[in-house]
Amino acid sequence: MKLPSLRIYAFAYLAFLYAPILLLPIFAFNDGTIIAFPLKGFTLDWFSQMFANDTLGRAVRNSMIIAGSTAVLATAFGIFAARAGTRFSFPGKGPIMGLIMLPLVLPEIMIGGSLLLVLLAIGIELSILTVILGHVLIATPYTIAILNTAFASLDRSLEEAAYDLGEGKLSTFRLITLPLVLPGIISSMLIAFTISLDEFIIAFFLAGNEPTLPTYIFSQLRFPKQIPMIMALGTCLVLLSIILLTIAEYVRRRGLKKTGAKDTGGFL
Amino acid sequence: MNTRAPMIEFQDVHKYYGEYHALRGITATIRAGEFFSLLGPSGCGKTTLLRTIAGFEGISSGAVLIDGKSMENVPANKRPTNMVFQSYAIFPHLTVAQNVGFGLRRDARSKAEKDKLVEEALEMVGLKGYGPRAAHAMSGGQRQRVALARALILKPKVLLLDEPLSALDKKIREQMQVELIKLQREVGITFVLVTHDQEEALVMSDRIAVMFEGEIAQLADPETLYRRPNSRRVADFIGVMNFLPASVTGEANGHIQVEAAGLGAFEIEAAQASAAPAGGQASIGFRPETLTILYEGQTPLDRETPGTIEEVVYYGDMTYYDVKLDGVDVPVRISMRNVFGRPVLDIGTRTRVAWSPGALVLFR
Ligand SMILES: Nc1ncnc2c1ncn2[C@@H]1O[C@H](COP(=O)(O)OP(=O)(O)O)[C@@H](O)[C@H]1O
Ligand SMILES: [Mg+2]
Repeated sequence: MKLPSLRIYAFAYLAFLYAPILLLPIFAFNDGTIIAFPLKGFTLDWFSQMFANDTLGRAVRNSMIIAGSTAVLATAFGIFAARAGTRFSFPGKGPIMGLIMLPLVLPEIMIGGSLLLVLLAIGIELSILTVILGHVLIATPYTIAILNTAFASLDRSLEEAAYDLGEGKLSTFRLITLPLVLPGIISSMLIAFTISLDEFIIAFFLAGNEPTLPTYIFSQLRFPKQIPMIMALGTCLVLLSIILLTIAEYVRRRGLKKTGAKDTGGFL
Repeated sequence: MNTRAPMIEFQDVHKYYGEYHALRGITATIRAGEFFSLLGPSGCGKTTLLRTIAGFEGISSGAVLIDGKSMENVPANKRPTNMVFQSYAIFPHLTVAQNVGFGLRRDARSKAEKDKLVEEALEMVGLKGYGPRAAHAMSGGQRQRVALARALILKPKVLLLDEPLSALDKKIREQMQVELIKLQREVGITFVLVTHDQEEALVMSDRIAVMFEGEIAQLADPETLYRRPNSRRVADFIGVMNFLPASVTGEANGHIQVEAAGLGAFEIEAAQASAAPAGGQASIGFRPETLTILYEGQTPLDRETPGTIEEVVYYGDMTYYDVKLDGVDVPVRISMRNVFGRPVLDIGTRTRVAWSPGALVLFR
């Protein structure tokens, strides 16, 4: 571990990972349209330009709706699948679980393309609803993988004990199961939200005329004049991600502390 | 309470897990107010049988009755039973008091009354004042008490316990055994205990059902089980028993004539013979403490046979001797209480062993 080359490698790795992100706020406040050093001066123009942009506003709203819905739906499906997968044995369980997890490795461009064909064939109009559909499809395998771990570490007799003490199936789930898998649910929603928020291909195929953040950003990259504003947007997104992660990690750790469970690794 | 009344009745209960026949025709009655144990090696179906009482496990055929009522179509949350789980199943996200009071959630009583019940239940299991603590921070023994209080607060007709002591270390386990017996006498509720520990079953139970491979091999009180096991298998499972080959030479008027190599011919009472003759080679069984090594000048109460000490195991209060009796092929194990002034004998010592036909069991 004392090898200097290892330390250099680690620093280089981190620099490669985070230096571009650090450039975002730098150029977001730079008073110049060209993304190059030396810096010119300080300005908030790009931010005001960003907030004044109606199309961008729409894209942000769309993306939030899509990512939020995806997080909730994919996690709900994940809960059903993970619970069934860890609690019950039924014929064909292996192949069924395998098929559910398959989108994890399928190229998104194939999923997006084939979804587009099917939707057009049955005459469903493209909208943010169709994007949600596609995003739930690709995010659900991730949520299942996360929730499987949460459900598998849940002692089955806890649910039986609640049932034995007079609770019904539903109230047992609400009072015992849900609070105990809450850290997993938070991780799952966070992952699904993130996957959806920066997903480009499916959104590009299935959104129709509606902009989402990635498709809007992509469309603006052709105009050099717009790039500083994109930098400002990127700065906001990074900030938002950090806040979101912090909150999620806080809630997750509080949940773990409350149940005395061992921390099996979160995001921060 | 009439302790003779049946509380739980199994009527030819069968249970299949797919192809696997886990319970093979269980017929038995557990009486109201008794401390009943299901004893058997791991995998014999004890937990499965217990769970058919609780309602967690459906049965394939037969019937389970509780207090005279068939439990068919009665789900677990509507049965007059509560369970202490092997893992204790303490809700880790709740406090001790919330755990204990969990079953009262659906109760119409006021909060103050419920709090009082919880406090009483905690006091009963020796956890007075522990209510506000986080349940997940309790030790193993404490969790077990919380689980007990939680199950007993609903005043069930039957308390089911699945190996409740197996996770505790020896000292605490023995202490809890005594506490559980006391508690059961105090509340008068029927306890059904699952255990694979024969000593635990003997210490705690009014009656014990010994199970092998999904069947009850013998159902009796501890003394009968120990002194008159009805098969070699039961005898072997409960405590230590010496088996010697023997042959039955006659049988009349409630007496059986037996001959065994090294021991000669003698007569026993018919009640000493295990139930069904299976044919083939018979054997007799002695518990180690029914055999006595005679010291200089001691005379046997009944019979004696000479032998040589082959092995000595010293336990402090007891010494186990393996003695090869003259004319007998296998050594017999003899346990002797160590008494002040009486030396522990050495390997190779020639000795006389006292025994009595009245203390043996005949298996055939
Ligand atoms: N849910 C189940 N599915 C299939 N087999 C089971 C199930 N539960 C128990 N068994 C089998 O039934 C047998 C009895 O199990 P159990 O009642 O738990 O035994 P014990 O409590 O006496 O150790 C075991 O062989 C076990 O493998
Ligand atoms: Mg068991």
